[in-house]
Amino acid sequence: MLDTIEKVINKISIPSKDFLDIRYAYAMGESFTVRNGRFDSVSNQTTGGVAIRALIDNAWGFTTIVNTDEGSIQKAAEKAIRIAKIGSKFTKQERKINDDWVFEGKGGTKLEIDPREIDKETKFEKIIQTEKAAREFSDRIAETSSTYRESHSKEFIINNKGTKVENENHVVRIMKNVIAREGTEMQSVFDSIGGAGGWELIQKWEPEKEGLKAAEMGLKLLSARKPPSGRMNVIMDPSLTGVFVHEAFGHACEADAVIAKQSVLEGKINNKVGVEEINVYDDPTLPRLRGSFDYDSEGTKARKRILVEKGVLKEYFHTLETATALDMDPNGSGRAMNFNFTPLARMGNTYVDSGDKSLEEIAEHTKEGVYLKNSYGGYVMPAKGQFYFSCQLGYFIENGEITDLIGNVGMSGMTLEVFQNTYAVGKKWKPEFLGTCGKQGQGIPVTAGGPDLGVSDIVIGGSQ
Amino acid sequence: MSTEMNLHELAEKVIKLGLSLGADQVEAYTIFGAARNVQLERGAIRKFTDVANSGLGVRIIKDKAIGMASTTIFSHESIEKTVKDAYSLAKVSPPDKNFNSLPEDNRSTPEIKGCFDQNIIDLSVEGFTEMILEGVQEAQVREDAIIGGSFTAGNGERFIISSQGIDRFSKQTSITGYLSVKIQDGEDIGNAYYFDSSKVLADFDHLIVGKEAGDRALKMLGSQKIETATLPILLDPDSCMGTISPIISSGINAFSVFNRTAYFVDKIGDVIASDKLTITDDPFYPGGVDSSAFDDEGVISQKLNLVKDGILNTYITDSYTAPLVGLDNTGHASRGSFASRPTPSTYSLDIKAGETAKDTLLEDLKEGILLIGSSIIDMSGNPQISAQINQGFYVKDGEVQYPVKNAMIGTTVFEVFEKIEDFSKEQQNRHGHKSPWMLLSTLQVSGGK
Repeated sequence: MLDTIEKVINKISIPSKDFLDIRYAYAMGESFTVRNGRFDSVSNQTTGGVAIRALIDNAWGFTTIVNTDEGSIQKAAEKAIRIAKIGSKFTKQERKINDDWVFEGKGGTKLEIDPREIDKETKFEKIIQTEKAAREFSDRIAETSSTYRESHSKEFIINNKGTKVENENHVVRIMKNVIAREGTEMQSVFDSIGGAGGWELIQKWEPEKEGLKAAEMGLKLLSARKPPSGRMNVIMDPSLTGVFVHEAFGHACEADAVIAKQSVLEGKINNKVGVEEINVYDDPTLPRLRGSFDYDSEGTKARKRILVEKGVLKEYFHTLETATALDMDPNGSGRAMNFNFTPLARMGNTYVDSGDKSLEEIAEHTKEGVYLKNSYGGYVMPAKGQFYFSCQLGYFIENGEITDLIGNVGMSGMTLEVFQNTYAVGKKWKPEFLGTCGKQGQGIPVTAGGPDLGVSDIVIGGSQ
Repeated sequence: MSTEMNLHELAEKVIKLGLSLGADQVEAYTIFGAARNVQLERGAIRKFTDVANSGLGVRIIKDKAIGMASTTIFSHESIEKTVKDAYSLAKVSPPDKNFNSLPEDNRSTPEIKGCFDQNIIDLSVEGFTEMILEGVQEAQVREDAIIGGSFTAGNGERFIISSQGIDRFSKQTSITGYLSVKIQDGEDIGNAYYFDSSKVLADFDHLIVGKEAGDRALKMLGSQKIETATLPILLDPDSCMGTISPIISSGINAFSVFNRTAYFVDKIGDVIASDKLTITDDPFYPGGVDSSAFDDEGVISQKLNLVKDGILNTYITDSYTAPLVGLDNTGHASRGSFASRPTPSTYSLDIKAGETAKDTLLEDLKEGILLIGSSIIDMSGNPQISAQINQGFYVKDGEVQYPVKNAMIGTTVFEVFEKIEDFSKEQQNRHGHKSPWMLLSTLQVSGGK
């Protein structure tokens, strides 16, 4: 395939200031879900095709095609060039790609045990036992489900500047979800493990233990105290710290948002954005995490990004285009979901680094407030710098001690205030949040995390 | 692959192959579409996209076990592999004792007018661009306004064929677009967006998209944090629809009803809301963006009175869930994509208007919050709601005072339905989704002050 797209690139003549890349992407995956004792979904999915981008006279043209013969790809490339030329008549900004960034290589997730070699019954058994243990725990458990997913993707990327890269990614995940119900009160518990790798990442999942743990927590949450309402001190656990650093801060660090003037972090490189104890990194080269990869979808070699050092903003997430525009180095952040989408500036494994406080010390410092744990996700308005997350559960903090359980609740805050209002950073960071990040219709696997973080002036949306 | 015959032949081939492998029942769901997209950045064109989307989803039943497989690749080998994959998954899956049969429905397909417009297909790249730039001009409420957005014009075909005699075809066009506007005065940021969506080019209002996005961004300047309090909430039609629609869709979905996680389980014939609330679901609204003559299993859709004067009339069902909840199949099967298994979902909701003028609802508000394009929803799926106010205004003595920031509403889906105090007589019609303004009596509002 690499040879075919290379032939097309060599056949098409465009001025050297312009840019053309051709990416072949193929992915296959399996997904199995057991819900309330029956198989809800047993499926596999295959996607494949060729994506062609042309940047001609400051405008982009993008086409995709599922046929992979040379003639079809060439026609699609010519079309991308043609529509880019039309766009260039209507654009006002300068856009180009630096000639110097050329990458060649072959990358891929390391698999100890290839999940494609594991029989389906073994995979089924993991989710059947997880779901069964949760379901049989109590008749107040209304719904139980467990899902196993694996995906295997391959990309070949060639551009007219000389980049030539092959990359493979393998991602596995097992999940559990429990909904406990009593009358009109419902509480959900969700958790998962997995990452970039093989069956070895799933082996440690103990189905019965995981199922019981979720069911027990679901029942406890039914009788939990109602969440409070108003502005208060909050300790975010590693999962919530991860959601904050991904959703609120990380998206604002994406250079395409910065260039589009849709980020509150525009123009803030080398400015103080947090207290000195705050260090934020994103590292797709960390092994085995969900957001790990060797090369991005533009063929750029991935590397660790130092976003914040000692409270000072240092770096954005870059595609080739944004790095050129802002005169910075590319850092391998151009990720695309599949062949039908263009690469965008995206995160991988984003985290706040560890500090020196134990959870007890942070609670003591907090005095009154809430300790919130585990997120269902959230969203952010990067231009305005306002975020919202939904938390699965939490605890009151009273007189400096962690006390009663709280049911699910949302929290809201201003992106630029959180790291400035951080009063304590926990001892150990964990990549606790495993997610699928959505941007412009594209979902990509990511991880986020951090330590426990004590922050003042967060708004909690409880009902009392 | 864009011709009707090719897709039909492909789907027929899937059925034959599946049955020849030994399947009891087979269903093929195929789509083919083309979309042109224009992306804007800082008020100018950034990117043109021209993509074709195709997909095949195969569902195979063997001894009550279900296997599904999908592909975007329509080569002979790929189709054959997809059918074989679905069959082998069905063979290794445990049987589902709740599964009865894929649906049968030999009624003829009703015609819904206004779902296909050749003008959208014929729209040239230049013509599309000029139209979008007119919208951008409307959004340029200040010279320094930062405008972004995205517009898509597309067309699609859908075939559903099964071994149970289902053989349906539909085609439609669509044009959608949004603009976002950001205005900044120092640290003060006014940010808003607006969108429109239609199946007919003449009904798509690109100028309103620009004007509303620009005007709303200006209005969002000067936002303030507010005190925590209990306050009444007035919702504009988009906020009302955005709040009511997910509650009712999740609340009466027969799949969730069977699983006992629907909000309104065992509530048919019972009061679930204020007597002001009446909701109809109309799949046949001419030109409706979500209108469809048949559902995603090929069963003819039904217009349903979901809630009348606060009383729940029915659940929404598909072929799998209808027998499980003891109702007829209402033709509400919906797939997230060609690769997904269908579950019930609503089409186009019509929330009945009231008798009070919307201006009166605002004027009579002594103190409260006005929501514009900002729904009261929660991400957890639980009935407890803890929602952020995205575009909201503090109201005092019937006058809008200032936009609020960093505020939340804490409530439950039951409280929202119970506290519906009034609807406006004016009703917004977003191409089949009809909603009035809605006044809720006091809810808990968490402020950042």
